[in-house]
Amino acid sequence: MIYARADIVSNVWKLVAREGDQVGPGDVLAVMESMKMEIPLVAPVGGHVSKVLVELGQIVQEGDPIMEIDETASA
Amino acid sequence: MSNPAHPAVVEAPAPTDQRETLTQRRTSRFARVEPKGKRVYTARERAEMLVDEGSFVEMTPMRSAGSGSGSGVVAGWGTTDGHSVVVVSHDAAVASGAIGAVMAESIQKAQRFAIDKGYPIVYVNDSGGARIHDGIFALHGCGGIFALNIEAQSRVPQISLILGPCAGAAAYSPALTDWTIMVKEQGQMFLTGPDIVKAATGEDASAEDIGGSALHTKVSGVAHLEVDSEEEAFDATRLLLSFLPTHKGGAQKRHDAVPANPHAAAALPTLVPEKSSIVFDMNKLLDGVLDNGARLELMPEHAPSILTLFARLDGHAVGVLANQPNARGGILDSKASVKAARFVEFCGRFDLPVLTFVDVPGFLPGTVEEGRGVITHGAKLLKAYVDTKSPKLTVVVRKSYGGAYIAMGSASLGAHANWAWSNSEIAVMGPGGAVALLHRRALKEAEDPTALRDELAAVYREEVARPYLAAEAGIVDDVIHPEETRPRMVAALRMLTHESGR
Repeated sequence: MIYARADIVSNVWKLVAREGDQVGPGDVLAVMESMKMEIPLVAPVGGHVSKVLVELGQIVQEGDPIMEIDETASA
Repeated sequence: MSNPAHPAVVEAPAPTDQRETLTQRRTSRFARVEPKGKRVYTARERAEMLVDEGSFVEMTPMRSAGSGSGSGVVAGWGTTDGHSVVVVSHDAAVASGAIGAVMAESIQKAQRFAIDKGYPIVYVNDSGGARIHDGIFALHGCGGIFALNIEAQSRVPQISLILGPCAGAAAYSPALTDWTIMVKEQGQMFLTGPDIVKAATGEDASAEDIGGSALHTKVSGVAHLEVDSEEEAFDATRLLLSFLPTHKGGAQKRHDAVPANPHAAAALPTLVPEKSSIVFDMNKLLDGVLDNGARLELMPEHAPSILTLFARLDGHAVGVLANQPNARGGILDSKASVKAARFVEFCGRFDLPVLTFVDVPGFLPGTVEEGRGVITHGAKLLKAYVDTKSPKLTVVVRKSYGGAYIAMGSASLGAHANWAWSNSEIAVMGPGGAVALLHRRALKEAEDPTALRDELAAVYREEVARPYLAAEAGIVDDVIHPEETRPRMVAALRMLTHESGR
């Protein structure tokens, strides 16, 4: 399992991808808010989003997993 | 009959025999030793490939560390694009390139020559570290190499290539040089390899885990460029040298001026999103200002919220530092500060002009960054700018707040010329934060605090943060349109380089 992890200490501002979504590498999964910047969180690999691990507004630290991606399910 | 044990005593060989002897010795010394592992070329081939064709001259080709073997290093000089350069190429075919007393002496001889004559040094590293058989003599020799690495820092550029597993001393010498280039899945740098790591701490890790190019160019920042092959490493080295003078105080490299990329230049006025929270790619902005020609970005994957690259403006080689909003919002943190400070310090040491493009939300605060020592690391960036006496030109393209405003090549740190785009904001903090502090009581008592905050933030942005206050105070030279950036920078650079006599 591959995790999309927060680049920076931030709060979860928008969840773009949902559980079950098929995503490609580089697709925006969520938008994090930190330092008054809207920082896109992108998929490190393609696959399907098997789990969303955070809620809107949740504060996360750099490196925290945000979404779990099942790479084997990639089309 | 001649006695083979004492041929010289019995009869002096005829001149033709001497020629044969020399030819024979050269043949045996220069014999191709098939490279091992992922290596493709021998030490001598590497040195020859790095420099202009046919220009390599080995300094002491007969030097030997023992019966029949070479010194363990091919050291000499040649030219790249016609400019002299000294090359030190470890010979992994002799005791895995391990550094013994004789090898260390040969390296030091090349270093001393480069320092005294003012030529850049390229170290082609492929060595297991100190040669254990030589004991303290090997350690003393390695220490001598380090001391000359350090002496060279204030005199000539030094570039290290990592083309094999480099342990101990062979990893430390590169750390004392300016720029380190690693070949992917071939070069490694570590204090000590997997076996000794396992014995010392129990940790089970591969050579790539401990010292591969992915670790060092992304995470640790020990190396500055990752390439796919030895050929690419040599190309990158020649490109890097094309931006640098051969020595401190030497002539800066001048090329013909090339206009900026016309499409990027045309897009400049509309490139930066008006809303300061939206990210964009700073590279596109640089394309619209810098000469449309060769560039070399260093540390592209380490601390990517700041860009450090060599480029040209009006034909001058320049160092460019720019916040990259596309990565982590363009913040400054511990790693970005170290990366930026190292780059500015290098430019200052070799008199390269520094162009700074600013769009920075601030230094990243909080437990993680404070724990990493962001204060100490941020201070290094301030020091690097102040110590740098080469031309420093700074432009704020969107926002610049607080300590990060000061750190990004501000007037107070000695910028020779600085401008702000008309849409930019310069303030102690962003409008949101400032309003929350300044109007705490009013906001607490307001019926609709969000609406009041937005209203006050808009007023703050226009009346306090816009760059006109800074320009009126003489802290920013002028407020400019985006398309005026290149002509302003070109004019300033011409004036400043003329003034300093170059």
